[in-house]
Amino acid sequence: MYGYHGKALIVDLTTRQTRWETLDRTVLQAFIGGTGLGAYLLYRHCPPGTPALSPENPLIFVASPLVGSRLTTSSKFAVVTKSPLTGFIGDSLSSSYLATELKKTGCDALVITGKSESLTLLSIEDGEVQYLNAADMAGLSTFETESHVKQRLGSRTRVACIGPAGERLVRFASISNDGGRQAARTGPGAVMGSKNLKAIAFRGTNTVPVHDPAALAEVGRDLAIRSLGPATEKYRTLGTMANVSVFNRLGTLPTRNFQQSTFEEAEAVSGEVFHEAHFTKNAHCANCTIGCEHVMTTTDKGPTATGRVEYESGFALGPLVGIKDANTVIRASTLCDELGMDTISAGATIAWAMECYEKGILTHADTGGIALEFGNDEAVIACLRLIGDREGLGDLLADGSRIAAHKVGQGSEAWAMHVKGLEMPGYEPRSLQTLALALAVSTRGACHNRASAYEADLSDRVDRLQASRERGKITAEGEDFSAVLDSLIWCKFLRKAFHDFYGESADIYEDLTGWSMSSEQLQQAGERINNMKKLFNVREGWTRADDTLPQRVLEEALPDGVAAGASISANDLDMMVSAYYEARGWTADGNIPDAKLAELGLDVLITHTASAEV
Amino acid sequence: MALAPKDVLGRDNVVVELFGMARIASGKHSVELIVEAPVSVSGLANALVRECPELAGVAVREDGDGFLASYTLNINGSRFVSGEHLYLEHGDSVLLFSSQAGG
Repeated sequence: MYGYHGKALIVDLTTRQTRWETLDRTVLQAFIGGTGLGAYLLYRHCPPGTPALSPENPLIFVASPLVGSRLTTSSKFAVVTKSPLTGFIGDSLSSSYLATELKKTGCDALVITGKSESLTLLSIEDGEVQYLNAADMAGLSTFETESHVKQRLGSRTRVACIGPAGERLVRFASISNDGGRQAARTGPGAVMGSKNLKAIAFRGTNTVPVHDPAALAEVGRDLAIRSLGPATEKYRTLGTMANVSVFNRLGTLPTRNFQQSTFEEAEAVSGEVFHEAHFTKNAHCANCTIGCEHVMTTTDKGPTATGRVEYESGFALGPLVGIKDANTVIRASTLCDELGMDTISAGATIAWAMECYEKGILTHADTGGIALEFGNDEAVIACLRLIGDREGLGDLLADGSRIAAHKVGQGSEAWAMHVKGLEMPGYEPRSLQTLALALAVSTRGACHNRASAYEADLSDRVDRLQASRERGKITAEGEDFSAVLDSLIWCKFLRKAFHDFYGESADIYEDLTGWSMSSEQLQQAGERINNMKKLFNVREGWTRADDTLPQRVLEEALPDGVAAGASISANDLDMMVSAYYEARGWTADGNIPDAKLAELGLDVLITHTASAEV
Repeated sequence: MALAPKDVLGRDNVVVELFGMARIASGKHSVELIVEAPVSVSGLANALVRECPELAGVAVREDGDGFLASYTLNINGSRFVSGEHLYLEHGDSVLLFSSQAGG
């Protein structure tokens, strides 16, 4: 077999038994790898109704056919599990050397079930599994943990680990690898923590042959050149933080818990200011020519912090909580990486609490004496530490905004800014209404990456301030595109460097695997993967009522900026959701009809016996 | 900022707001330009690079005859520009920022 190993390694932490499961051509071509293959494996290995933090919930690491190819941006992997935030599918991506090492252990996917009796370091070397005591790593930060494992098992070891937040089951805890890269959204770190699994060490020598190395080398050179062209210019220069000043001007920068769409201090936390005052160096993932990562360092008199700052972290720990000091943003983002937690959910949950404090629902006594006001730098840092330790107010916030609002009540659910339990990213849906639909219907909750629907809004294709039925088709197409991107797996930042994404990717897939794949078949794989994810959610109790937006978005018009007055009513959203279901070929209540399952082959694939144990 | 009225020839004043590397390279947040209606995208690029030569090769093509593909234009924060026609009016703001949407 070319491009794949054709098998998954299944590890049961409870019984300490391991086994291999074949992944045959039918399954691999249908789901490709990454989030697609992960969704399929989750459906197979997660018993219906399993609580997310129970031992039976599988934690799945998935490589892809591109991993090991050395094509630019190809060193990525997916982590898939049932999310403790949403109760639905949770799929996150991370990058760099760990992806390559995961595949070199001899599997396309690692499925971890069960729970260790005590804190454990799982070592996987060329498919050989060891369960090592990790008691001495309890409470260590993600950076300390990675360093500790490398000292213990060798510097070539690649490490996926959790920090204190994962150990304490913070529902938005991340899994960290390669010096602070995070699989963070939807909280896979909490699932890892629930299994008493502090870290996984990967080492291997099993490379996978490529079907047509010469063709792949040629396309690789061409892609590397294109990756340095205009399609990636922003990522190479200012990075994603360039969004801040643009989004502020366009009235789509969520500020003070989505109470505003512009931030009067945006300039101070803009990408331009970060670049001029805090930029230290660019960093690359393994096998990447773009080098999008911008490492920033604090410049004030406080404790020095250095770390990567992306737009989503910058927005969530800046304007969303009213912070105008770039040093605080760097410090808070780095602290999240150390503790091992998602910056978006952390910032958004703190923003919810700040609004509760503003409205007198959380008091000084509730916060343990913290003046939890928007813009209070010390309060943000203190809250992050409390969340990581699950102490005091942090114990409430560690469950995310949906559960926290449910516990606190008093109307605070109205400004808990989440979809399906996942906190909203840094795009104001009232002034980006294609994105609004995509956030509502996404299988993993409020996610900007699983459809990249903002692209339509930030173009002349639609009126971004008005709801319309055409959004249904645009969103479905964007989701299918993203599903292929996230399954092959290409980095999102390369997406505009393709002349014909499906055609070129299908050719590359054939060069890698030797398996013929047409452009249309690849596009259909994207549709199949989205239906696979939906099928999992339906099995876990999803209903149309879950495809909605926060009450604030549906009831309040934007008060400020160029988009002042923009709104989305419940009827607007309902119309767009219906149009989306129609574009998907689903029923009016959003379920997948048997005919659609058959068209995509899912009726057979979900009971596929060729993936049986070997 | 307060925009100057139309000049004696009745030409329009527009503001080009700069973002990202265009802002850093020029050291300016915005540039006020006098343009003769109807102005095209390449006409605007020409006028801009005359005012800010440091934008050549950064946001404006080296020959000044248009913008680099890595940049996009938006009018007044509401209308994205496609094609060569701008349909500017006196007092309009043209936003010049990266064409790579989102993060």
